[in-house]
Amino acid sequence: MRSNDPDLAPTCFADAAEGCITCGDQGVPVRVLSADETTALAVCADASGATEQIATELVGPVAPGDVLLVHAKVALAHLDAEEAAL
Amino acid sequence: MRFVDEFRDAELGRALAAEILSAVEPGRHYKVMEVCGGHTHSIYKYGIDGLLPANVELVHGPGCPVCVIPMGRVDDGIAIAEQPGVLFTCFGDMLRVPGSHGTLLDAKARGADIRMVYSPLDALRIARANPDREVVFFAIGFETTAPSTALTLQRAKAEGLTNFSCMCNHVTIVPPVRALLESPDLRLDGFIGPGHVCTVVGARPFRFIPADYGRPVVISGFEPLDLLQSVQMILAQLADGRCEVENQYKRVVPDDGNLRALEAMADAFELRPHFEWRGLGFISQSALKLSERYADFDAELRFAVPGVRVADPKACQCGEVLKGVIKPWECKVFGTACTPERPIGTCMVSPEGACAAYYNYGRFAREREVV
Repeated sequence: MRSNDPDLAPTCFADAAEGCITCGDQGVPVRVLSADETTALAVCADASGATEQIATELVGPVAPGDVLLVHAKVALAHLDAEEAAL
Repeated sequence: MRFVDEFRDAELGRALAAEILSAVEPGRHYKVMEVCGGHTHSIYKYGIDGLLPANVELVHGPGCPVCVIPMGRVDDGIAIAEQPGVLFTCFGDMLRVPGSHGTLLDAKARGADIRMVYSPLDALRIARANPDREVVFFAIGFETTAPSTALTLQRAKAEGLTNFSCMCNHVTIVPPVRALLESPDLRLDGFIGPGHVCTVVGARPFRFIPADYGRPVVISGFEPLDLLQSVQMILAQLADGRCEVENQYKRVVPDDGNLRALEAMADAFELRPHFEWRGLGFISQSALKLSERYADFDAELRFAVPGVRVADPKACQCGEVLKGVIKPWECKVFGTACTPERPIGTCMVSPEGACAAYYNYGRFAREREVV
């Protein structure tokens, strides 16, 4: 994830090695740090610790500590710890 | 991070690779297609293909949303971007996709106000901050991305924004997969299903593959162990004589998908009668346009667009690569005239594209083999 300001954000093709979360149809898991139900926005951190504001309308209520799958700054799913067991 | 690190464990990966090796019948050649460009990227990035036996071949499918955009749509986008007062927004990779007279990046260099965004919600924010400008979002992507555009349109409508519109190029994954299964060029033994598309649409839309075409499908995650386990599950189905849709990615994909996302899409979009796919031609009901309810936000109605069909460059074999008929390195211009820095074809643009993924990772392994 990148800066919130698209004018300052680096171009994603510069990091071809990591791929682009928005151009491809691939989501990334993020952890909820804080959530605001009124605005349906949550501040989330990705694996590298970078934070981003995420829209949560499509997954319902979220709480700090939840892990969400995010694509294009929109949460698409809650990740299920039981099903993640290898 | 939880849900990531445990799926990159090298020991478990080696154990899965050994299981796969023991499951294959010697003398039989297996062709498995990964539909999603994200899978293609992961396969090359983690060297998954190098862990598989020589007779298990991974074939790259049409699931890179950037790669399937035809040149004519890029030209239409540039035509809108160059109109006075327009502030044009799109995802980064789209900036470099060549149209018939250059890319959106070239148009930006000529003076058009084109900005890269990471989300349609960013485009909406730009529209709020620039009420005197016409802000257009060039929407691309499969069912993973379409909900974010739908949500953005719903917010724009609720806020009564009049300076925001969307040029919709969203596509759906089932019609091209069906087209590939109808193609006589290709004999496939199974499919690795697109995990994040299924997060939205669920597993059901893929049932036609075993039901109508007798091929197994395993919906897969994107980490290396996800992909290895999915290949192993497909081989197990083939060995057992089973043929069904299995869900390897249950930690994310529910069988019914995301109903809220599907409702948002049903509100904002309707199916186009037909849409042109790069390399695959026109496919019926394979793309989305804005629904009547959102006609005021439809950039193709708000602005004049040429809407001209443009043939792909002759040297480019993206069509064959997208259909899995040839491998990226078999294209005549791969790595010479066509590179990620100066792409001719779309498959070399996006990191999810088979050519770019192979150029970035796979060619090194191949060079070692050749030496």
